[in-house]
Amino acid sequence: MLGRDGWAGLACLVVSLVLLAATRGLPQSTLVPIGPGVYPRFVLGIAAVLSALLVASDFAARGRRAPRAPGAAPNYALVGAAFAMFFLYIVALPYLGFRIATFAFFLAFYALLEPPRGARRWALALVLAVLVALLSWFVFERGLSVLLPRGRWTDF
Amino acid sequence: MFELLGTSILGILHWHYLLPLAAGTLAGVVGGALPGVTITMTIIVVLPFTFGLDPLQGLATMAGVYVGGSAGGLITAILLGIPGTPSAIATTFDGFPMGKRGEAGRAIGLGTWASFFGGLLGGVFLITATGPLASIALEFGPWEFFSLFVFALSMVAGLVETSVLKGLLSGAIGLIVTVLGNDPVLGQPRLTLGISFLEGGIPFLPVLIGVFAFAQIMSDVERIRRGATGEGPAVAVEGRFSVPHLKVIGEILSRPFLLLWSSFVGLLIGVLPAIGGSAASVMAYDQAKKFSRRPEKFGSGIPEGIIASESSNNANVGGSLVTIMAFGIPGDAVTAVMLGALTIHGIQSGPLFISQNLKLAYGIFAAYIVAHFIMVTIIALGARFALRVVTVPKAILFPTVLVLCVVGAYALSNVMANVYILAAFGVLGYLLVKGGFPLAPLILGVILGDQIEINLIRAVMTDPNPWLFFTHPISGGLLAASVISVVFALWQHRRHRRRVAEAEDLDF
Repeated sequence: MLGRDGWAGLACLVVSLVLLAATRGLPQSTLVPIGPGVYPRFVLGIAAVLSALLVASDFAARGRRAPRAPGAAPNYALVGAAFAMFFLYIVALPYLGFRIATFAFFLAFYALLEPPRGARRWALALVLAVLVALLSWFVFERGLSVLLPRGRWTDF
Repeated sequence: MFELLGTSILGILHWHYLLPLAAGTLAGVVGGALPGVTITMTIIVVLPFTFGLDPLQGLATMAGVYVGGSAGGLITAILLGIPGTPSAIATTFDGFPMGKRGEAGRAIGLGTWASFFGGLLGGVFLITATGPLASIALEFGPWEFFSLFVFALSMVAGLVETSVLKGLLSGAIGLIVTVLGNDPVLGQPRLTLGISFLEGGIPFLPVLIGVFAFAQIMSDVERIRRGATGEGPAVAVEGRFSVPHLKVIGEILSRPFLLLWSSFVGLLIGVLPAIGGSAASVMAYDQAKKFSRRPEKFGSGIPEGIIASESSNNANVGGSLVTIMAFGIPGDAVTAVMLGALTIHGIQSGPLFISQNLKLAYGIFAAYIVAHFIMVTIIALGARFALRVVTVPKAILFPTVLVLCVVGAYALSNVMANVYILAAFGVLGYLLVKGGFPLAPLILGVILGDQIEINLIRAVMTDPNPWLFFTHPISGGLLAASVISVVFALWQHRRHRRRVAEAEDLDF
């Protein structure tokens, strides 16, 4: 069976081969001796070979893989939730606008990592979320003339 | 040269530049001191603040972050025994024991002033060597540039600690990123996968921000037990302490060989692409131990260990800046962000940078030097309050950093596409770290990919004979060095594996 490296190599191999196949339709250039497909083919070819070598070396080492180090297992559920929260944030940004989306994201992310216990903690989290959203908006838009997303639904 | 430098230093001392430089240095010191926040992450956070500034203001801010961050790590290394940045790892070896002995002020003073002197020695090299090195690079044709970039990439991929194969593959993934979108010579669309925003190619800053920020933050998030982010580590010292400045300056200057040699090691590592301050400080520490008359004392809290580590990691900054200013090759992720800042302001890095932007180049030199004085002042005034700052809960820190990453990616060209690229590469960065892939080769691949292709095509357009890559002496030498660096890295890894296997066989 393949290990972690083997699966990673296999994923890279598939992506390299798919992209390599996609370079077949690229036209030859009359102005330049080598067309726009030559360099990508070279790079993708190298990536494919390296990926295949990684799969092969992982397969060859299947009996000698180090056992998982002892200790607390990584909290992947929290990582998944953190990623999901971030994706929701960037999807919501163009609809809600920077200030509202950032307020909601900060509050949710804070609550995810350190669930507030009691009214005082919730109040602190709310104040922090308002501060981060408004302060960053004020510094960038007003202070540094950096425009931030405005909400399509909220116009805010 | 010195007249221009003097004028530039006077210019930097104007509040218009001094304020962003001081703010950048303060951000660097704080970011460097925060365990789990690297200098790269600090500079990523600071990047969007520089968009509204003029080029020198922005680059001075970043130089401040770099200098401040390289020194800031020593505060937590000494007070908590946790290096604030990877480049302060070796500082913990003697800094923390010295702090625990009740000499935290002395240890912080030694680290700060060693950083100062090491950084200034790096500055001397930066100012004197960048111009001549850029002049050499100006003689390069497309063959030499192609081979130089290939060499930089192969060396970074070969020098990774985990696996040479993974390092090379990581570099190749970086190169693949650059072949998506229009080709850089004729603008012919290719491999856009039907996604319209890929036609312009993938901008490297969102890639860099996504890869580094998410790899760091999510790796920390996975270690968090819910509701337990505010736990404080054990500290070497409680309450106030004072730094005996004159005494520690005397201690450092009474060891001139140690200071010079450690700074030289740092510089050398800095010039080589993407090895970084952590390797510099550990190597300098190791060298100091080997040259010492009392090597057995290292690790017990002696000044030599702190001086070696800190002078080396700040001299490393000067070396990294030389590589980017003379060749346009980022020495590490921090200079990669600086390179991005240059392109945002429409400035082309590379050998022509100095001749075309002399005032800006000397402005960066001046900012680098002045940043050291600001760094010493900040640490001298603020070290005693550092413990309050470095215990900021991750539940506050992480969402704030992620918001600033989004601002940084969005503000590059005011399009959400860059934010989606940030997120996509954030996932990729985290997966690569989990898979044991190094990130430095990937970033260097993304930065150098276009240049490799452009120089390859230029060379073939000038003369289609491919053997010229090997017969031009510099180009051939660099290609040979690329092969040697990969073969050497393979041999080193094989030898290391064999020794580990032998040790396991002996361990019944």
